[in-house]
Amino acid sequence: MNLENDLRRVLRRESPPAGFAGRVLERIEREPARKPRAWWHAAAASVTLAAVLGGYGAYRVAEHRRGEFAKEQVLTAMRIAGEKVKYAQEEVRAIGSHD
Amino acid sequence: MTAIVADAVGFSGALERAKAGDHDAFAELIERHEAMVYSLGYHFFGDRSRAEEVAQDVFLQLYRNLGTIESDSHLLYWLRQVTTRRCIDSARRTRLKAVSLEDAGELSASTKSPDPFLDRRLRQYIEDLPEMQRAVVTLRYQEDLDPSEICRIVGMPVNTVKSHLHRALQALRRKLEKLS
Amino acid sequence: MRKLVIVLALTLAAAIPASAQQINMNFPELEARAEEVVDITLDAQMLRMASKFFSGRDADERAVRDMISGLHGIYVRSYEFAKEGEYDRKIAERLKAQLGPTWKPLVTVRSKKKENVNIYANMVGDRVTGLVIISAEPREFTVVNINGPIDIERLSQLEGQFGIPELSKEK
Repeated sequence: MNLENDLRRVLRRESPPAGFAGRVLERIEREPARKPRAWWHAAAASVTLAAVLGGYGAYRVAEHRRGEFAKEQVLTAMRIAGEKVKYAQEEVRAIGSHD
Repeated sequence: MTAIVADAVGFSGALERAKAGDHDAFAELIERHEAMVYSLGYHFFGDRSRAEEVAQDVFLQLYRNLGTIESDSHLLYWLRQVTTRRCIDSARRTRLKAVSLEDAGELSASTKSPDPFLDRRLRQYIEDLPEMQRAVVTLRYQEDLDPSEICRIVGMPVNTVKSHLHRALQALRRKLEKLS
Repeated sequence: MRKLVIVLALTLAAAIPASAQQINMNFPELEARAEEVVDITLDAQMLRMASKFFSGRDADERAVRDMISGLHGIYVRSYEFAKEGEYDRKIAERLKAQLGPTWKPLVTVRSKKKENVNIYANMVGDRVTGLVIISAEPREFTVVNINGPIDIERLSQLEGQFGIPELSKEK
């Protein structure tokens, strides 16, 4: 068994049912008319915000990133720990069921 | 790998025209990327109608955000990221039950597998994985992305992505070994 | 495949806060040979910071946030190797030797071909004040040290039930 080859085969791309693009365009046409937002609107807003916040803004962004990173680390650690404990519990139950 | 590279190579004409409001050009973008987006959803949920729903939502969102797309490679990255995150977010909200083997439907006609039963089982096991492991496995083996590319899409450190991938493969191997 | 499982104690009451021992989990010789390393070091300050980023509206995230409140640290080292036999599985003995008399073995799972797991709890009376999990597989060695009061039963229920990060805004 070569799992990676099996995964590549099983997860091969497939096309959606025929007419998919048309269905998307129909939904777009049903939407209320929106004026496409020019790319420079977003850029100008970012520049202004950065200028206003300055160093404090940068600090807050960095803090946020650290916090999110720490959260991910916690999730990973707890998942690993939970997996090992669960494995041990299952082995115990398996032995118990054979008694 | 060839298909992935081809997606990123210059079709910038359609993108620029779509940004200028050309719906035919936008349709061209959809046709170019629909298989990728749809398949991410289908492999995540195991449900074709759910996959179509997510895919439609993604392209609708793309239409609204075309102005922020800078290039064809950015578009590809954007689509992968948005699709993956929508799938995870949706699964988190609804906690869909895995489709049973009886409901899994016919195998795709394009599948040439020496063991259709194994493929069906493997799909089921992938759908049973926790959402993030499922996303990482799908991005790795459907899109042939390596962990450093996946981590940007899912917004997690690369070691965390590697950990998810490793555990997913471990879980899949264990289940398949039990099967054999 | 022979498998030996020894159950010495399994069910424990909720813990009271008390500082528990933090063990030395650094193995430079493993790190040098490993293909991949997961290294997580979260002290009390980092855990407090992380807590703020768990959603109070999501039941699973609330469960994790509750579980880590009061902890003094979480430490994970996981080494994955390209081939079997790249590390000495007796390294688990070096870890166990660091555990003092208050550390009690909870579960030992032994398998020659699959995963050996040892779980130890630091006990103050009948309260858990720390946990060490040592897992040795043919190609992977993992140690988890949770420093502080931890509910083992709740911990075992976490695996497979969560894992979705907060989605940051798309660009």
